Parts: sequence; structure tokens; C-alpha cells
Amino acid sequence: MAFSDPAFWRAGAVSTITVMSIVLIMLTIDSLAAISPGGSHVPPYTVINQHIDYKFDSNHGFDAPVIGAAEPLFGKTLDNAAAAELIDRGKMVIQSRACIDCHTFFGNGAYYAPDLTKAWLDPDWEGWQAVTGADTREGAMVKFLMDPEQYRTWTRGMPNLGITEPEAQAVVAYLKWMAAVDTNGFPPNFNQIEKQR
Amino acid sequence: MSALATLETGLLLGLYALLSGIWGVLWALAQFRQNPIFGRLAVAAYGLHTLVALTIVLWTPLGIGWKCLIVGSSLVFLALPPMTWRLLESTHQNAGSEHDREFSQHSPRVVARV
Amino acid sequence: MYRSQALAIKYFSAAMILFGVMTLFGLVSAYYYLNPDFLFGILPFNIAKIIHINTLVIWLLMGFMGSIYWFLPGELGRETAGIWAAEALFYVFCTAVAVVAVVFIFVQYGGSNEAALWFINQGRKYVEAPRWAALGIVVIMVVFAYNVIGTAVAARQTTGIITVLMIDLIPLILLYLIAFPAISNMSADLFWWWWLVHLWVEATWEVLIGCIMALALMQLLGTSRRIVETWLYIEVALVLGTGILGLGHHYFWIGTPSYWLTIGGFFSALEPLPLLGMVVHAVYDAGAQHMKTTNRPALYWMMAEAFGNFIGAGVWGFMITLPQVNLYAHGTQWTVSHGHFAFWGAYSCGVISVLYLVLQKTRNLAFVDGSLWKWSFAALNLGLVGMTGALLVSGFVQAFVERAMGGSTLNAFISGQENAWFVDGMVARFLLAIVFTAGYFVLVWDVVTLGRRAPAVAAVSPAQ
Repeated sequence: MAFSDPAFWRAGAVSTITVMSIVLIMLTIDSLAAISPGGSHVPPYTVINQHIDYKFDSNHGFDAPVIGAAEPLFGKTLDNAAAAELIDRGKMVIQSRACIDCHTFFGNGAYYAPDLTKAWLDPDWEGWQAVTGADTREGAMVKFLMDPEQYRTWTRGMPNLGITEPEAQAVVAYLKWMAAVDTNGFPPNFNQIEKQR
Repeated sequence: MSALATLETGLLLGLYALLSGIWGVLWALAQFRQNPIFGRLAVAAYGLHTLVALTIVLWTPLGIGWKCLIVGSSLVFLALPPMTWRLLESTHQNAGSEHDREFSQHSPRVVARV
Repeated sequence: MYRSQALAIKYFSAAMILFGVMTLFGLVSAYYYLNPDFLFGILPFNIAKIIHINTLVIWLLMGFMGSIYWFLPGELGRETAGIWAAEALFYVFCTAVAVVAVVFIFVQYGGSNEAALWFINQGRKYVEAPRWAALGIVVIMVVFAYNVIGTAVAARQTTGIITVLMIDLIPLILLYLIAFPAISNMSADLFWWWWLVHLWVEATWEVLIGCIMALALMQLLGTSRRIVETWLYIEVALVLGTGILGLGHHYFWIGTPSYWLTIGGFFSALEPLPLLGMVVHAVYDAGAQHMKTTNRPALYWMMAEAFGNFIGAGVWGFMITLPQVNLYAHGTQWTVSHGHFAFWGAYSCGVISVLYLVLQKTRNLAFVDGSLWKWSFAALNLGLVGMTGALLVSGFVQAFVERAMGGSTLNAFISGQENAWFVDGMVARFLLAIVFTAGYFVLVWDVVTLGRRAPAVAAVSPAQ
């Protein structure tokens, strides 16, 4: 009987794996285009020169990023090369300090510290400007990153990771870019909270 | 679409899967044990599984496609233990002689000369 | 005893030590939630967690390698090819793990430059080990693959199980190369990173443990080769048939197109099906033997593998795999609950089962039983299941308070973390982690003293 013959199932395993792998490769090729900066879901790095928002998109039925008018980061408009350099550096900081082992990015990582997907848009930064004496949201974020222990407001603290000012600016740029990625609505309801404020 | 209802859906999905496992284990035990209680408990477990599936279909905010998947999976879960069992019995019957049971023995069908 | 089997014993010993290190740093990480100032400024949470999850990966890999080095000579009828290289590399492996851990603990971070990634910390989850160590792991795995393939070549024959293993090792090693690049684009980084993590733990590792369980079953229950090979092919077909596109359940929210919500959700919802088949198979095997065996702990741990895999990976995964639910559950303690249970059931139980099989031979025991293994079995499993339950409570609350109601802002995160149910769940998790730790120590005691205790253990009739 075919079903008790190992060769039947061996052939089944080979064909199943082959078909599924081919489909995965095809979908990967399509997805890689969508997730490249400037693709359908991921903005170019120069988006950090613009205002970012996160609103409900009735076409898709979930929240989506909205790219608005010019809003230079740290008062400087950057070209492609300069923006890419800043983003590259920001990611290097994130990796060298292993941020993903306390925080989550797009919900991936560790769960001890907040998710950073939309951290750029967090309504709390307004208050942080007063606390840190910074003129801008990005200025407050930089001050916090450079010495989180000084600005500890909760029982669970972030340690001082020796982040320099250029490194902090790069991380802030990274978070602003990340907030503009279309994540199919994750995290949900974020914009509702902003509306209530 | 309530967020709490969606989260409760998650718990229901877990219960759905767990009951399918309990049905499978009890059904399998019923094949060995003389006591008919295992068979009855297996049916009861599948009954509960069906109830949970119905709750998911009728009460949760999942889309129609996902509800069809739940119903389809329930049918597969129903058939899976008996099918697996029949295949197990068939493979054991066709396992061959004591010679084949030797740990270091190589079944001639699958030995490849390298 | 073959040199390969002597090496296997070394790998199992190292694996058991790393299991303890994993448990210790798990306790530290868990305690941080209860007392955030614990070791603050000395050993940050992320370093404790890094050591916890990296030792998880390494102890399991060492357990797999130990299992293969143990079974391979008997399977192919000769000493493992290139065993001298494997023996030398074992010490290199252990030294590298120690150096990496010491650097993690005492250096912790470098600057935002390549040197930090090469020598200190790469900062990508599960693969934080610096690049020099990652390179070492590639070398060790390539030599391991050579050991397996080379032995088949030297023996001028192979078996179905070894052929599946040889083929499986190729993608397993190639996927690990994803541990090397630093990709600026977080979407692309995570896209490829999930190829590594998912296609390891939900594909190539499943095939690997399947091969190991097939080899173990032939020894434990005297199952015929034809049966284990048939069922190995069935498992490979079903697990990879659902798992390859089930990778899509990690592509819901990382910036990938929305078709992944349907594809990933659908295929990963099918993943529990083969696991139920395995549970039925386990009951069949147990029943056919009337639970009689000459090695009770090996049999019970193998049953725990089948059941733990189904419940931890299958049931717990099924709860959070549909995108509608995952939108709220993603990145919460609900994920942690699933992760702990899945790793335990899918891999840890199987490795411990093989450990007892190995011990039966090395200690020359006609029959393996006793009370110690039962205590460790109970404490480890109850501790793990208890932790999982506690994390489920915390995770559910977090998903509701932080994600659903709070919108995942900083304040929402804090509200979730301070919620009384959440806190109670984390306290319970820590207490049950202590139970688990106690089980670990009893396991170690049993393993060290098995066959070296009262002679009655070896003489007891299997008719009990």
C-alpha cells in the first residue's frame, strides 16, 4: 500500500518543500521591493525632513503614516546621502547598545521597555521639553538619550549607555524615519490617544 | 469590533486547539483501553471543541474567511486521530521481520550507496 | 565506545552547564521586573536577557550535536569522520562561549562602530554574539556537517534518517549567515532576521529534532527503521509544508505588504495539525509498550516532548497567530508565554530524553528508574507550565491595557506594566521560575549520580 511506503512520503516531503520554497522566494522578491526605502511600505530616509503623522486610513481599515509638510530635523534639511548616513549611524547605535534587548521595534525585541515603533510621535515628548529645557521634541529626545538616569521618572529606569550627542541625534533621526513606516496598523489606536490629548 | 472581544477570541482559539488535542489523546487511549469511558470522554471533548468552534464562528469578530478556516480545521481535527492511527497500524504491520528491528540494520529500500 | 560517543558526553555535559547558566540569567531577568533597581548600573536588564537567550540557543545546539555524535557511529557502522577536528573544536566552542559571556557581562557596550560589532555585541536578538564568535559558530557547524557527511562517504552508505539530516544541515548553516550583516533598514533587517529565527526553530530545527527522535525511538522502544523513517518523512512534509509559509506570521507588522496577514495567518494556523499527529503517535507508542521500558525517564521526557510541542508551540501559538488577535498581543508577555512553552516542548524535553538514553549506556544500566528523575520531571514541567500560565495572565492584561486601550504610548506601556494583574503574573512567574530552578538542580543531581547510587537501581526488574 502506497501510504505505508516511506518512498511515497519522501516524495511528498520533497515536493511540498519545493513548492513552498518557490512561493516563499517569489513573495520575498516582491516584499523586498516594498520594504526598500522609497518602496510602497517604507519611506525614503529623507522623510526625516518632513512632518510625520499617524491617522486612520478608511481605505485600508487601519492606521497609516501620513507624510506632511517640511519639518527639518534639528533645523537641517538633509539630502539623500546625508540622511542615509544619519540613519546608518542611528542603526549602529541601536545595535551596539543592544536596544532591542530591552525595547521592541515593530513589536520585535524585548518587553522590559516600551515599544519604539511610534516613539517619535509619543504625546509625552511635549512635557519632556519642559523637563529637559529643550526647544524642540528632538532636542528633548537627545537630552534624554544622553543621560536617561538624570531624567528618570518611573521605577524602571533606562541605564546610561554612554551615548554621545551625534549618536543621540542619529537615533532620534532613526526613530523619526521608523515612525513613517507603514506597519499595517501596528500599534493600533495610537492616533486615538493623540486625538484625546 | 471590540478589542476585548478580539483578545477573548485569542483565548477561545487556544481552547479550541487544546480541546482538539484532548480529543486526539482520548481517542487514541480508547483504542488501547478496554474501558469504554475513554471513548465517551473523547466524544465529549470533541463535543466541547465543536461548541468552542461554534462560539468562534457566531460570536467573535473574525472575518468570514477565517471562520471557514476554523470550521475546516475542526473537520480535519476530527479525521486526524483515526487517520493517523490507521497509518500507524499499517506501517507497523508492514514493518517486516525481527531482522528489520535491529538498531544498526539498514533497510535495503532506503540504503543509498554513496 | 567510539570517540564520537565520548565527544557526545562532553557536549551533553557542556549543554547541562549552559542550561544552568540560562536558568540563572532567566531568574535575574525575571527578578528585574519585580525590583528594577536590582543590579541597575552593574548588569543591565538587556545584558541579563542576552545571556539568557543566547545560552538557550547554545545549550540546545550542543544537545543536538551531542545526540548526533552519539548515534552516528552506530547508525553508519564506523567512527565519525574528522572526529579529531570535532574534538578540538569542542574546546574552542566552550572557550568562545565563555569569552563572549565575560565580555557581555564586563564590557557590555562599545561605540557605534564595526569594532563593537566584531568584538563586543552585535545587538540583534538571539544573535548578539560578536562577529568573531559568529564566525566560530559557522566553522563549528561546517565541521559538524563534514562529520556527518564525511562519515556517510567513508562508510560508503547512508540511511534515510542521516540523508534527511545531511540535507537539513545545509539550510541550517546557510541561514545562520544572516547573523552577520548590520542592515540599516529595520524592515529589511527584521525580514531577513526572521528567515534565520523562524526557519531555524519552526523548520530546520524541527527536522533536526525529528531525526534525533527517530534515532532515539529505535533505541528506546526498538521501533523498526522503516517505521521511524516513514514517520520522519511525514513529519518533514507536514511541518515544512505549513512552516515555510508560516514564516509570514512574523511579517504582519514590520513594514511588509499586507498580503502577509492572510498568507502568514493561514499557514501558521495549520501548523498545529502535524503536532496533533505527533501526540497521537506518542500515545500509540506508549500504549503499544504499555509504558514499559528499560528507561522510564527517557520515555517520559519523550512523551513530554510530543505533548509540550503540541501545547506550547501549537496551542499557545494558535492563540496569537491570527493577525486580528496578534495586532494586540504582538510584543507582549503573551509572546513570552508562547516562546518559553514552545522552546521547552519542542526541543528541551527531547534533548533531556536523549541524555537519559546516553546515560543508560555509559553507566551500563539494564534499567533506569528511581525517584530523583520523577522529582526533576515534575518540578521542571510544573515550573515551566506555571511560568507560562503566569505570563499568559500578564500578557493578556498587557495586550488589553497597553495595546487595545492605551494605544501603545509610553504612558500606556507604564499603565500596563503597573496593572495589578500584570504585576501578580510577574510575581507568580518568578516564584515558578524558582520551582523550575529546583527541578534543574535535581536533574543535575540525578544525571551525576545515576548508576552510581544504590546498586538496586540497576537490578530492579522492569516488571514494576
